[in-house]
Amino acid sequence: MKERTIGIFYDGVSSVPQEIELIFDKEKKGFAFKTANNKLHFWKLNDIVFGKKGSVLNLEHGEEILQNIKVKNIDFISSVNVFRKKNGYIDWYQRLIDLGLKSHVILAVFILIFIVLGYIFVIPWVAEKSVVLIPEDYDNKLGDTFYEQNMTFSSIDSSKTKALNLFAKELKLNNTKKLKFTVVNSSEVNAFALPDGNIVVFTGIIDSMTGYDELVGLIGHEASHVNNRHSMKMLCRNLSGYLFVSTVLGDANGVMAVLGDNVNMIQSLSFSREFERQADLDGFEIMTLNKINPEGMSTLFKRLQGEKNFSIPEFLSSHPVTTERIGYIDEMIKTKSFVFKENPRLKKLFKEIKY
Amino acid sequence: MDKPLQSSTTYELQFNGSGNAFFSVIVVNWLLTIVTLGFYYPWAKARKLQFLYGETSLNGDSFSFHGTGKEMFKGFIKAIFIFVLLYALLFLFLYLKIPFIGLLLFYLGFFAILPLAIHGSYRYRMSRTSWRGIRFGYRGDRKELITNFFKWIFFTIITFGIYGSWMSINLRNYLLGNVRFGDVEFNYDGDGADYFVLNLKGYFLTVFTLGIYSFWWQKDLFEYYVDNLSLNQDGKEITLTSTVTGGGFAGLAIVNLLIIVFTLGLGYAWVVTRSMKYIFENIKLEGNIDLDSIAQTEDNFKDATGEDISDFLDLDFVI
Ligand SMILES: [Zn+2]
Repeated sequence: MKERTIGIFYDGVSSVPQEIELIFDKEKKGFAFKTANNKLHFWKLNDIVFGKKGSVLNLEHGEEILQNIKVKNIDFISSVNVFRKKNGYIDWYQRLIDLGLKSHVILAVFILIFIVLGYIFVIPWVAEKSVVLIPEDYDNKLGDTFYEQNMTFSSIDSSKTKALNLFAKELKLNNTKKLKFTVVNSSEVNAFALPDGNIVVFTGIIDSMTGYDELVGLIGHEASHVNNRHSMKMLCRNLSGYLFVSTVLGDANGVMAVLGDNVNMIQSLSFSREFERQADLDGFEIMTLNKINPEGMSTLFKRLQGEKNFSIPEFLSSHPVTTERIGYIDEMIKTKSFVFKENPRLKKLFKEIKY
Repeated sequence: MDKPLQSSTTYELQFNGSGNAFFSVIVVNWLLTIVTLGFYYPWAKARKLQFLYGETSLNGDSFSFHGTGKEMFKGFIKAIFIFVLLYALLFLFLYLKIPFIGLLLFYLGFFAILPLAIHGSYRYRMSRTSWRGIRFGYRGDRKELITNFFKWIFFTIITFGIYGSWMSINLRNYLLGNVRFGDVEFNYDGDGADYFVLNLKGYFLTVFTLGIYSFWWQKDLFEYYVDNLSLNQDGKEITLTSTVTGGGFAGLAIVNLLIIVFTLGLGYAWVVTRSMKYIFENIKLEGNIDLDSIAQTEDNFKDATGEDISDFLDLDFVI
């Protein structure tokens, strides 16, 4: 069976259109045609790239010499298409494309739901699990780098730092890695924990405290951030979230940018609500474990919330003291049983740290 | 057939892609990218480009993009290898406790990659694009581009960025000036000073009008881009003229925004096709080159490394 039509041939040497008689040979599974100098050509179906542009069929052939044939005859085109479909010449990709708009919209909605669910549920889970795979060494390096970059120009109060380290030594903090405390002279009402176990406390926040129980609350909270590797979890979450979205949307752009400044990223790390909650709960537990009045935590948070010069520097914005947080701490104070007694050694050290 | 030599014809440049068809391409790309955990990306990119090029036509004949996922995947692997090497170098020097030299080499390496990536991606994209079987090509010289690039970067740094305008235009003049379409040569005739003034004016008027002028700024930039471009073949010429308007860009942007918002981003395909249509409708070509007389002159170039590095670094392709 052979079908014929008139096509326009471009020979890949110049852009001159040449009219040819194109023969579709179903037995030999290809197209035959003669060019001006009576040269016979045969293109196998398998070697042709088919393109449909509007109502025109475009046949493309060859690697180094690119040749094209344009066909406009509708009957011829449909006959070619029917043959290709029947004999398995339509590849899987084209079949997916041919599913039609309706199926594609449904598919897109599914993908969208998949992305949202993945982002909300899968990413935090994956990040949590993947943290285990990252050696603690990396936490230490990251913390070190950050500490070196940011502490060089801060004025460290060495005697207060010594006292604070002694203060912390008196406490059971459930820590697996050595915690190192530093007191920095600054009016900022601030404190932060680095993944390597460095905990930096500003004099601004210490000055606002009225009792050592508040300081224990703060230390307990920060220690929990270190113990639970919250920084690293957050980093993994940000990175995997980014990779997830870029994978799904097929966009490799900016992957380098993210990988490039993961050291700086720690700076913009804002702990999530659940991490803050966990740190608060652990902090509370640490207080009762050490027989310290947990009211101290509540008092500290209430004061921080009411703080007038709440300048929201890097840190406070990442541990916002919310009514919700004060709420659940007060609730625990009411419902949980605990014992506490005055600790003269801590009281004495607290005085040293404060003045 | 015997037209007088001076006679001028117009050419028809069109984008015919429908949003529906492009949407299908994108959704299938998404699906395959997810199923393959991202590995389909180079193929997805090839499919996308094949669609967009294939739906663009000149005098009724469409362009073709011949780049394949396989080529871009190979390039992708090479690009990753280059970046890994750079990072390895950085960490080596950090390990040796001489971070300064490490960082210096790292940034120098990064800068050196830029012109290489631009050069590579131009060569690749051009040689893999054709019309009526006639390939495009890029004939820029890699060494020359790198030397110029560093010179321009240096000037830009010592003038606190002011030379940036000249740098962009010099780069454009060089890149586009080396583009060929068979034996038709591209030519771009921009001037850094004009470009600087245009941007200065655009910037201040945009600030004063609280952003409204930005559409007219965009129009000026587009006009500057198109109007300075011309094609030459043996003393014959095709000139390009932009007919976009600030109002047109504003309307386009507002409707695009509404589409994106109300379809939760799914309308992206229609946004792209609408924009392409608007842009191609508003480029007028006029001249006396006979499009039936273009000869094949350019070779195939299948190394997509530059293309992939550009993609990594988010460099916008300049044509
Ligand atoms: Zn916290």
